[in-house]
Amino acid sequence: MNDLVDFWLEHLPAMLDGLLVSVQVTGVSLAIGVPLGLMLALAVQSRSKPMRGIAIVVVEVGRGAPALILLQFTYFGLPNAGLSLDSFASAVIALAWCTGAYTSEIIRAGLEAVPHGQKEAAEAIGLNHLDALRYVILPQALRVSVPALLGFSILMLQASSLCFAIALPELVSQAYLIGSTTFRYMPILVLAGLLYAAICIPATIAVSALERKLGAHA
Amino acid sequence: MTQDMLLTMVSGVPWTIALTAVALLIGVVLGIPLCAMRMSKLVVLRMVANTLILTLRAIPPIVWLFFIFFGLDTGFVSLNPFQAAAIGLGLITAANMAEIYRGAMSAIHSGQSEASMALGLSTYHRFFDVLGPQLFRVALPSAASYAIGLLKDSAIASTIGVHEIAFQASHVSQRTFRGLDVYAVAGLLYILLSLPIAWASRWADLHLRARVAR
Amino acid sequence: MSLNSSSIPQADVASRPPLLRLDAIGKTFGTHVVLEDIDLSLAAGEVVAIIGPSGSGKSTLLRCINQLEPPTTGRVTIGDTTIEAGHTPTRRELMALRRNIGMVFQSFNLFPHLTVLRNVSLAQERVMGRTREQADAVSMQLLARVGLADKAQQFPSRCSGGQQQRIAIARALALDPQIMLFDEPTSALDPELGLEVLAVMRELAEGGMTMIVVTHEMRFAENVSDRVIIMADGRIVEQGPSGTVMRNPQTERAQRFLHAVKDR
Repeated sequence: MNDLVDFWLEHLPAMLDGLLVSVQVTGVSLAIGVPLGLMLALAVQSRSKPMRGIAIVVVEVGRGAPALILLQFTYFGLPNAGLSLDSFASAVIALAWCTGAYTSEIIRAGLEAVPHGQKEAAEAIGLNHLDALRYVILPQALRVSVPALLGFSILMLQASSLCFAIALPELVSQAYLIGSTTFRYMPILVLAGLLYAAICIPATIAVSALERKLGAHA
Repeated sequence: MTQDMLLTMVSGVPWTIALTAVALLIGVVLGIPLCAMRMSKLVVLRMVANTLILTLRAIPPIVWLFFIFFGLDTGFVSLNPFQAAAIGLGLITAANMAEIYRGAMSAIHSGQSEASMALGLSTYHRFFDVLGPQLFRVALPSAASYAIGLLKDSAIASTIGVHEIAFQASHVSQRTFRGLDVYAVAGLLYILLSLPIAWASRWADLHLRARVAR
Repeated sequence: MSLNSSSIPQADVASRPPLLRLDAIGKTFGTHVVLEDIDLSLAAGEVVAIIGPSGSGKSTLLRCINQLEPPTTGRVTIGDTTIEAGHTPTRRELMALRRNIGMVFQSFNLFPHLTVLRNVSLAQERVMGRTREQADAVSMQLLARVGLADKAQQFPSRCSGGQQQRIAIARALALDPQIMLFDEPTSALDPELGLEVLAVMRELAEGGMTMIVVTHEMRFAENVSDRVIIMADGRIVEQGPSGTVMRNPQTERAQRFLHAVKDR
């Protein structure tokens, strides 16, 4: 047991470095992906046919293709098109794409949950389309979407583990590296799992508590 | 993209389907006792189930697969990549299916359970004749969208060497130094594979709904 | 804008130039005809009640006036803005129309994420370009007028239905409209709460506001409005001074409707 604790303590700094990279790549992807999702949600409902078409393709591919394939596409594929990116930038593009696609559906459901009378009332008091969206519809839609968006953020932290495949030094890469040099895969993978669990379990519990609280209000 | 490259990638399709199907089967079956434990009257069972579900869902699939494939392979058990992937994804699926069942249970009005108790039906008949069929219908849409998610998650098995689509794609890409079209085709293959699941689910849902409505 | 300005004498009303004119308004949904050939003109200060069986097109007519429901045929004129059916009105035309028309909905439709004060202030800032201070000052006056100044910082969900509807009236008044439209404003309320809304509406009418009220409140139609319009099957079947129409309807359809309502 002492041996295991010593092993963990020895490698904890490297693992925490990896966790930091995981959190960073998740955070940047969400910061880009959620606004993208909002734009896609609006574009999917747009009156312009080409805009709607593009949005639907972006969403369907982002949701339909595995995140791992998106990551490999941006990291190994884009260089063929003359665009070589480092693994962090590739990861952000792929995960933001994935985030945009999924959150657009979440936000669209939120938009649909806003009663029609709200839009009519906004129109009747003379607000133009953009103001109605900004001051009346979106605040209500986003509020409804918050629990689902937070739940999705937890999933994205987990999905960032796939960046292992494109050599981003995140948590799983670090664990794998340590495992392959020490030949002690089991304990280091347990530590990796514990670190994920330490973030994701409390976060999951908090999100479902929030969901219950919001549900009780409605 | 040559025909040879395309064929190599398509050769991953049966593995992807097999892995998804086996993991789904494990999850659908193991999800039942897990859900029962999660809803049990015994606090201990409930806590054990809750911890299992939370843990299985909180740790990324790739960590589970590595853990089972590299971690457990320390002498006495030795699993091939497919077995390890099927077990790992199957366990994660079980946790998610348990939650789907539980959601479906709470969606079915408690009046249904009370009505069948008032009719004097035994627990067995209450479950299999009254609640079960309704449960199936309510759980189906979420289970189907989970199955599509699982199909995509099965790509993760490429990292431990299961010869499915994503594995073949990186194999071809490494051999030919082409990534753009190879991974685009791989993505397309997954999307194509998910279409029949979506269609079947929609068809079954409409079919069952029509039968219940009548 | 004050509620206490003198009431307009009845005889005066008809001789004034019309404030609002509807010419041959028609509305169809697919093959279903909801409104057919509606003509109506309204003088400043006039209060018109529209009554009739449900499905007669009363609410649709109201919604056609401010283009929430664009009419299929006909013309809506308010002041110097005319909107012709068949071509999409420009944003400028729509804004001109809606700034002059306040609307109160059956289900209030207050914005649940904004405080009562912000509900009333929002359009003043975004549409009239008032500063927040100016808008809030006007809103406080309006809330005081409907007796709810103390609710300004609350959220709508903390208010009763009757209070919410009075807030909705204040919100509609905030743009200083020339006309107020009421779409069954008391139908979603308990009778008791309906009374407080009707009291506010009566005060508005006495203050000289031009109003069109779609309602099931026969007493309001008879006692507060200057003119009553009875609609059935998408048409106006009878109209005239409220006392005459309510007590002595001429057409068979109107008699039948009023008889049925009195039995309740």
